[in-house]
Amino acid sequence: MAKITVCIGSSCHLKGSRKVVEELQYLVKTNKLDDDVELGGAFCMGKCGAEGVSVTVNDKYYAVDPAKVTEFFDDVVVKAVNEEKKA
Amino acid sequence: MELYLENGYTSLNKAHEELCGDKVEVAYNGDYTTVVLADGLGSGVKANILATLTSKILCTMVSNGIDLDECVNTIIQTLPVCKERGVAYATFSVVYMNKQGEGYLFEFDNPEAIYITGGKCADFDRKAHDYSGKTVYITELKLKPGDYIVMMSDGVIHAGIGMILNFGWLRKDVKAYLDKAVKPTMSARCVACLLASACNDLYLDSPGDDTTVAAVRVREALHVNIMVGPPVDKTKDDFYVARFMEGPGKKVVCGGTSSTIVARYLGKTIKTDFDFPDKDVPPIGHIDGIDLTTEGVLTLRKLVELSEKYLSTSDLTPKYFTKKDGASLLADILFEQATHVTFFVGQSINAAHQGLPIDITMKLKLVDTISDHLRRMGKVVEVNYD
Repeated sequence: MAKITVCIGSSCHLKGSRKVVEELQYLVKTNKLDDDVELGGAFCMGKCGAEGVSVTVNDKYYAVDPAKVTEFFDDVVVKAVNEEKKA
Repeated sequence: MELYLENGYTSLNKAHEELCGDKVEVAYNGDYTTVVLADGLGSGVKANILATLTSKILCTMVSNGIDLDECVNTIIQTLPVCKERGVAYATFSVVYMNKQGEGYLFEFDNPEAIYITGGKCADFDRKAHDYSGKTVYITELKLKPGDYIVMMSDGVIHAGIGMILNFGWLRKDVKAYLDKAVKPTMSARCVACLLASACNDLYLDSPGDDTTVAAVRVREALHVNIMVGPPVDKTKDDFYVARFMEGPGKKVVCGGTSSTIVARYLGKTIKTDFDFPDKDVPPIGHIDGIDLTTEGVLTLRKLVELSEKYLSTSDLTPKYFTKKDGASLLADILFEQATHVTFFVGQSINAAHQGLPIDITMKLKLVDTISDHLRRMGKVVEVNYD
């Protein structure tokens, strides 16, 4: 199971973490990945300077642009799930 | 058991009037609190002046322990005489009581105050006394924790008169309403607003008279410690958290970094929620042993908005909080539940926040405003800067 953690701290909230959370929840559902992805939140990850909302996928860090959540989902999340399935 | 006395009031102005002809005045003197509700003759400026004079004089004199006879005499000699009506007149209700619920209630021509005990309305055992030709009713008070005194101007029992109720809102109906609507967790402020708001509804949002409700409640004290932001000296984190965790009462942590420090000290993990009950307020977190964990500056900013509404004596939105976002939960603990609030404010600068509307100056300013508002709500507030 791939673990995705989205930062919901002050800085990321201002950058649009709510949009990222809601879109990820939607995408996980529509792609029927509920059993393969665990979504969670975390307070400040200490990367407030990054351009985008802080997200970790299996502890690997990404800064996600709230306008490009779908791309992030296809490129990173789906890939991580597929890799885990192979393993 | 440490007891505490809280009070609160709400006023409705007669429709199209800028000033209210009712006035509530509160004074604290040692263990005693004095709350005066005065209703001036007529409405508008004239009534406002009469009520202001009456409440201010009575409140100052009674709270300094001066004999009621002298207080009443002073008022009679001071009030300006109305040119049209040829009388100088204002009605009043006065509660003079200590934190243990002992004291006196004086009433002159206002509707009888309602005594809520054990969640049910009752009447006081009033004794008539004659002061300078005026009949003042005196009640010796002995309240238990959880008891309320609800004082009101005649606007309450006249609510809806000639509009939707033939004879206004009868006292027995007011009591029936309070029996049903008052929950034991409600603060005095909350009860006052509840009743005034019901009157406003009966007046169809256009009050035919100035309407004021003032409530006083004896309750158990509740201390709340609230930590906002990490201290400047990182090596002393544990010392500061230990001090924050000291003492009984509730513990609240505001801010991501602060929560991390507290969780580390307690050897617990932070679980964060993933729901957004309010789109402006980030989700809350959970730490075992901490009553509420929220995000910092954005939640506090929302809290200031809520506190302004809570304090406004003309705002009629309910004073209890049912929403589940961080700011509403925090408001419930600080405004409705707490009697004593101690802030532990860390002044450490989050470099990444500089220039954003969430930097340290913003945070300090918010704590300043909130502690000021809490004091105006009658809480005992202490602020520590680390």
